[in-house]
Amino acid sequence: MDTDNRAAQGENLKRVGERLIALQVAVIVVFAVLGICFWVLQIVQHARYEEMAENNHQRTLALRAPRGILFDRNGTLLVDNRNSFTISIVREHSLDLDRTAELLSQVARLDLAQVRQTIERHRGEPQFRPIVVVEDATLAQVAAVTARRLDFELPDVVVEEVPARTYPTGALAAHLFGYVGQASESQIGDGIALGSIVGQQGIERVYNTQLMGRDGAKRVVVNSVGREISTLEETPPVEGRRVQLTIDYDLQKAAEDGFRNAGFNGAALIMDPRNGEVLTYASLPAYDPNDFASGIDRVTWASLNTDRLRPLQNRVIQGRYSPGSIFKIVVATAALEEGIVDSNFRVTCTGGARFFGRTYRCHLKGGHGSVDMRHALEKSCNVYFYTLGNMLGVDKLYKWAEKLGVARKSGIDLPNEQESIVPNSEWKLKRLGERWYPGDTISVAIGQGFLSVTPASLAVMISTVANGGTRVTPHVVKAIDDGAGWQPVAAPAVADRVAFKPDTLAALRDGLWMVVNASGTGSRAKIAGRDVSGKTGTAQVISIEGRARARGSSRDLRDHGWFVFFAPRDNPEIAGVIFGEHNEHGYLGAPIAKHVMETYFAKKEGQPLPVLLPGKTAPSPSDEDPDSPPALPPIAVADARPVEAGAVVN
Amino acid sequence: MFEHRLYYHVDWAMLGAIVALCLLGVVQIYSATGGSGLYVVQLYGIVLGLLALAVCTSIDYRSLADKSHVIYLGMIGLLAFVLFFGVVRGGSRRWIDLGALNLQPSEFAKAIVALILAKYFGDSRRGVVGPADLLIAGALTAVPLLLIARQPDLGTAATLLPVLFAVAFVAGMPMRIFGVLALAAVLAAPVAWKFGLEDYQKERVSTFLNPSADARGAGYQQIQARITTGSGGPWGKGFQKGTQGQLRFLPVAHNDFIFSVLAEEHGFAGVIVALGLYLFVILRALESARLAKDRLGAYLVLGVLASFTFQVIYNVTMSAGLAPVKGLTLPLMSYGGSSMIATLAGFGLILNVRMRRFTN
Repeated sequence: MDTDNRAAQGENLKRVGERLIALQVAVIVVFAVLGICFWVLQIVQHARYEEMAENNHQRTLALRAPRGILFDRNGTLLVDNRNSFTISIVREHSLDLDRTAELLSQVARLDLAQVRQTIERHRGEPQFRPIVVVEDATLAQVAAVTARRLDFELPDVVVEEVPARTYPTGALAAHLFGYVGQASESQIGDGIALGSIVGQQGIERVYNTQLMGRDGAKRVVVNSVGREISTLEETPPVEGRRVQLTIDYDLQKAAEDGFRNAGFNGAALIMDPRNGEVLTYASLPAYDPNDFASGIDRVTWASLNTDRLRPLQNRVIQGRYSPGSIFKIVVATAALEEGIVDSNFRVTCTGGARFFGRTYRCHLKGGHGSVDMRHALEKSCNVYFYTLGNMLGVDKLYKWAEKLGVARKSGIDLPNEQESIVPNSEWKLKRLGERWYPGDTISVAIGQGFLSVTPASLAVMISTVANGGTRVTPHVVKAIDDGAGWQPVAAPAVADRVAFKPDTLAALRDGLWMVVNASGTGSRAKIAGRDVSGKTGTAQVISIEGRARARGSSRDLRDHGWFVFFAPRDNPEIAGVIFGEHNEHGYLGAPIAKHVMETYFAKKEGQPLPVLLPGKTAPSPSDEDPDSPPALPPIAVADARPVEAGAVVN
Repeated sequence: MFEHRLYYHVDWAMLGAIVALCLLGVVQIYSATGGSGLYVVQLYGIVLGLLALAVCTSIDYRSLADKSHVIYLGMIGLLAFVLFFGVVRGGSRRWIDLGALNLQPSEFAKAIVALILAKYFGDSRRGVVGPADLLIAGALTAVPLLLIARQPDLGTAATLLPVLFAVAFVAGMPMRIFGVLALAAVLAAPVAWKFGLEDYQKERVSTFLNPSADARGAGYQQIQARITTGSGGPWGKGFQKGTQGQLRFLPVAHNDFIFSVLAEEHGFAGVIVALGLYLFVILRALESARLAKDRLGAYLVLGVLASFTFQVIYNVTMSAGLAPVKGLTLPLMSYGGSSMIATLAGFGLILNVRMRRFTN
């Protein structure tokens, strides 16, 4: 190599060296920048990305707590839980929500428009919260959806197993149990979250706090297609408390069978008059609470609401009707306890009587002749009670109506109870702006006029009479299992206590016993050796004048019938009311009461329970007793209906 | 052929760093594939690669350069062969099926282009590199580049450009030519955007600019890469504890996103160690270029190093979710036999140049 070349080579290498240094610097700078980038990502913004990574792979799933189970007083299971499946969309995993909605409704055979509506309704909620599209999915739907999920076609659809309420007895005691549903806006708070299932009616609602339990939660790891890999932590759900009711399943069934057999709707509240424990609570027609367990569908809800027979109405505490002749028991009690008369007081009935220049009729045209208290009760003589009412005055009647439990609320532990209305002078002035006329009292004395009472209030009244003056508060819960065994629930305080005079008690018991066992209207409730006592009554739906006016309308204007009862006559153990809706005759309720009482006594003594054969009415004792009103032709009015009755329509 | 004294001039430090990176890769592949057998395949690849490295160091690079035209033509032949008879996977035709393994010739094209360019510029007697030289060098690069781009494999094709520019730069290409090329590139970009790119490629670029606009589609991988890296924190989640990689939120974790897995499981500390090793290897190789006995050697080192460095920087940036997702692997760490063998063979050439700096 010559010198020139060597020099050129040297110069070249020198330049190569310079440029290599430039590259070296460039590489160092680039790596430094990369280092800074990683520092920013991994140190400065670490918390943010860590959270994103956790959201990526961790899910919190709610575990719905089963609601507390309900038993009857003997431990028979009444309300239970079952496993159901819900199908939901988790939008967080959605690639294409529209496509999911389409595919899901196709696979699960749903109405696409409705699915879209459901999604729309929950649009504002967080993306990770599942939108429930199908409650209580069928196994076919679950299978179809699961198959598609495995193909990754529906990565954003989840199938969850949740406990749902089940009522094995169907519509039995529906109004007592009530039903459950998703919490409404106003119910949220205090452990109730959006979408929680809470009691909406009946016991489910009143005892919701005890029944609801506590939902659990599960944190799980999911992979990129949403499949659960493992569980990080789990708070198991706490089942709601088990509740033992005072209800007796067999008596409940006997009452409802009785109604079915008799062929009319109505209400029954039967209890132990000694302590107010409700044994039977029926309101018919009823609904099936199972329909509500997983969210009621629109069609069923609409039909329940538009049904003219109003199956959603809880007649026992929400239906208000004229008490009719049942109120005569109150009048008799008031007259005897106030000392206005004693039980030997006699009135001669000639088929009618004049008060304040008007004639008030008795239902028996020829009159009852001379009757004392016992026979007046037995025959339900209007004239006798017109006379007592007139002597008492309305405010004393009101006082005793309240003491016996007819006025106001029974205080039962069920929601939305209506107040029973018993008028007095103050009430009329306030309500109608009119002073009380003495003539008004005459109507009230036979249970007409402004009176408007619930079946529950009459059940309390007959219990108070039965036990000799102690107004017990009806209640439906006997014990609650707080996890450490059954804790009895104390009976609510006695609302009022009056010790009846011996004469009062004897006259009432005798008179009411005669209604059933002598020639009264309640003979269909007679049970040999049980000394059943009772009283029938008719609740006028519309006055005779009103009836003429309403002619041709489609409303059912037939009267309602009442039957109140207790047994045995001395030391009663069972008392209650049968309300027959538009059944026209109070005595038609008597066989229902009889069947319940027969069941009660059979059960108590370990005898086989009586069976009601469908379509066959209980043998009517009236056949043996030709004087009794049931033997009269059907058009005969079994109970008092005075001509001058006020047009109170309930 | 292999003189005993050369043994003492082998750059053991760089070789050690390279082997360390390979083993780091194996560990992460093991973690990302849930202990499946893939890491064993990778170990085989490393053994074969080290053999290739040994072969490449044993033949004097000057002899190799003398045969460079033959090697180059052989490579062109292979690339053409791939285009017609290659194995199709994932929509592109890149592999030659050799029964036991699939060979990816484009991986070897990088080192061979480096060799031919080194030979071309090294032979040039003139002190400056003119436009004519650049044109010829450009043509030599363009032929394999286009063949690879046709597979299509734009990522690998693009790694040939740094080879050309690095060698040309060090060979003394005037800076103004770089300026002109840069200007031309800027001007041509819109045209290329309109006519040169397929729809999916455009999508990748626009997704990169705004990944959250398409968080479930093309932007998904980029966002997941960033989450993976960021959630690693300073010390990482621990070996096989990375939720992102383990639960498949990150696609092809053992391959393109191996560095994300490392960043997640070993955190910033692990990243610094790995980046340090790469930087050490690169600086050490640049040192070899500086120490080279002749321009041929320096250029050869530069050429080999250029594609390696480019790929490392791009993949690491992409793994952090800071660059558009492109099928470019991380040399030495990503799963892949051909890439491993070709990369280690390339380092064989670099070692070759360094250890022969005192021979004639």
